[in-house]
Amino acid sequence: MLDAFDKELLKTVADLEGLPKGAYNIRKNGRLLAREVSANIRIESLDDNRGIVVTIKPGTVNESVHIPVILSQAGLNDVVYNRFIIGEKSDVTIIAGCGIHCGGPDPEGHEGLHEFEVGRKAKVRYVEKHYATGPGRGKRSLNPSTRMVLAEGAHAEMELTQIGGVDEANRSNEAVLGPGSVLLVTERVMTEGSQRAVSRNSLVLEGNDSRANLVSRSVIKDDSVQDFFATLEARARCFGHIECDAILIGNGRNETIPSLKAFHPEAELTHEASIGKIANDQLMKLMSLGLSYEEAVNRIIQGFLR
Amino acid sequence: MLELKNIVFSVEDGPQENGGNGGGIRRIIDGIDYAFRKGKFYAITGPNGSGKTTLAKLIMGINPVTEGSILFGGKNITGYSITDRAKAGISYSFQQPARFKGITFRDLLSIASGTEEEMQLLALLRRVGICSLSFLDKPVDSKLSGGEIKKIELATTIARNPKVAIYDEPDTGIDLWTIGPMVNLLKREQAEHGTTTLVVSHNRAFLEVADVVLIINGGRFVYEGDLKGALPLLSDMSICNYKACVRIDDVGCFR
Ligand SMILES: Nc1ncnc2c1ncn2[C@@H]1O[C@H](COP(=O)(O)OP(=O)(O)OP(=O)(O)O)[C@@H](O)[C@H]1O
Ligand SMILES: [Mg+2]
Repeated sequence: MLDAFDKELLKTVADLEGLPKGAYNIRKNGRLLAREVSANIRIESLDDNRGIVVTIKPGTVNESVHIPVILSQAGLNDVVYNRFIIGEKSDVTIIAGCGIHCGGPDPEGHEGLHEFEVGRKAKVRYVEKHYATGPGRGKRSLNPSTRMVLAEGAHAEMELTQIGGVDEANRSNEAVLGPGSVLLVTERVMTEGSQRAVSRNSLVLEGNDSRANLVSRSVIKDDSVQDFFATLEARARCFGHIECDAILIGNGRNETIPSLKAFHPEAELTHEASIGKIANDQLMKLMSLGLSYEEAVNRIIQGFLR
Repeated sequence: MLELKNIVFSVEDGPQENGGNGGGIRRIIDGIDYAFRKGKFYAITGPNGSGKTTLAKLIMGINPVTEGSILFGGKNITGYSITDRAKAGISYSFQQPARFKGITFRDLLSIASGTEEEMQLLALLRRVGICSLSFLDKPVDSKLSGGEIKKIELATTIARNPKVAIYDEPDTGIDLWTIGPMVNLLKREQAEHGTTTLVVSHNRAFLEVADVVLIINGGRFVYEGDLKGALPLLSDMSICNYKACVRIDDVGCFR
């Protein structure tokens, strides 16, 4: 059922060797390939196979759901809408990811909207990796969006990674944080050649004592371009922080625009942003430990994107 | 074993408004001719801005010499890159160590020692006197304290098993209780591994245990000998009458 390419893609985007344990839903070329549910995790298809609804029973702990998407059909632009309803006081991990294998000259793409409702005091970790490969020269594009609503005391972590081979990416992340909820977002993107990536983030801190931390790490090689926009909007007593760092290698270009908006007197919002070449003192240090210049560059990037 | 043959490091001077002499050349290292002997412990001292760090960086190859040459074990290494010098057996603890993102002490120690073996890394920790094992997985980032990062810096230098180890003010930020053990550690490395040791420091504890004290001033060695002989010169310098103020930004002049 899984061919060699599928297996390679699954391994890269979801760290999977074969089929996963626990609940999963594997989508290939716009169709359902395999699914497994559990006593606590329900997965249902939407009409016309437009996407799925994943419902996690309140109180479900230490379970995971894998929902990888594989594309290997030239000329296909797969659009998917997935919804996640995460029950109160549950504690789960959701592993998404999209792998494109492009064998021909036609473009392939995936557009996914993922909507999350994170229940009261629920904890969720969402991991998403994007990757494209293959000998074909067709343009590979990935346009993921996430929308998250966090109920009181909810805790969510999002790790969004684009590891390589994606020619064009347009990402958007939106979240609304209820009272006492916490959201940590880490985005890591590496582009090379003439790739383009844009990420737009908008987090609204709506409840008292909500906290958001948005971290972005970009490595921009060759002639590629990455832009990063982030807005924190405080509507209550809250704390928010944006940290975005971009490393330029070659002729890479970057525009980073963090924006802070406070509509409450007890809002506390901060940001740090930096764009620049690899720091010289880091290179010198690693070379003085015996690494060559190239090895040092690779090691620094590897750490930076970790 | 490490020979500096009349080395000079000069930079283009800034404009007059900034205290420079107007497009001239400033010799930060102004002709140093010196042979370090194998297995000896050298303490290099001198006022702020006298050229100690610059000299260390010339030896490590971080800056190229403007004139002169450097011989190491009989080989001319003047044209060697930093990497080549590291591989040849020179190691340098930076005065201001680099801080990374996403790189841990374990990573640096593995790179330095060439092994990821847990047992060997733990043995290294013991060798450098770091007792806390959790320290190994500390990120070497901007959150580390000044003293912590200096300990890491020192450990990575020792982990190279260098023939020549250069420590640039290893005691900065190190607490009072750790200076003694640090001095003992460097002496032990010298004794057990025959490491030729160069310590740049203002700390008397290092000057006292050195086989040779070197004083650098204005980019030149102005003294070589034991501590006793160095003391009059050092106290002279501390009241800043040793050299005339030549530049508005001479740090020494404000002391
Ligand atoms: N690349 C450079 N370009 C211009 N000036 C430099 C350069 N490197 C060093 N200098 C200057 O040379 C002088 C000596 O610097 P150095 O860092 O070697 O001093 P130091 O003896 O190590 O001082 P400290 O005790 O404060 O560490 C200083 O005035 C410094 O500003
Ligand atoms: Mg110095």
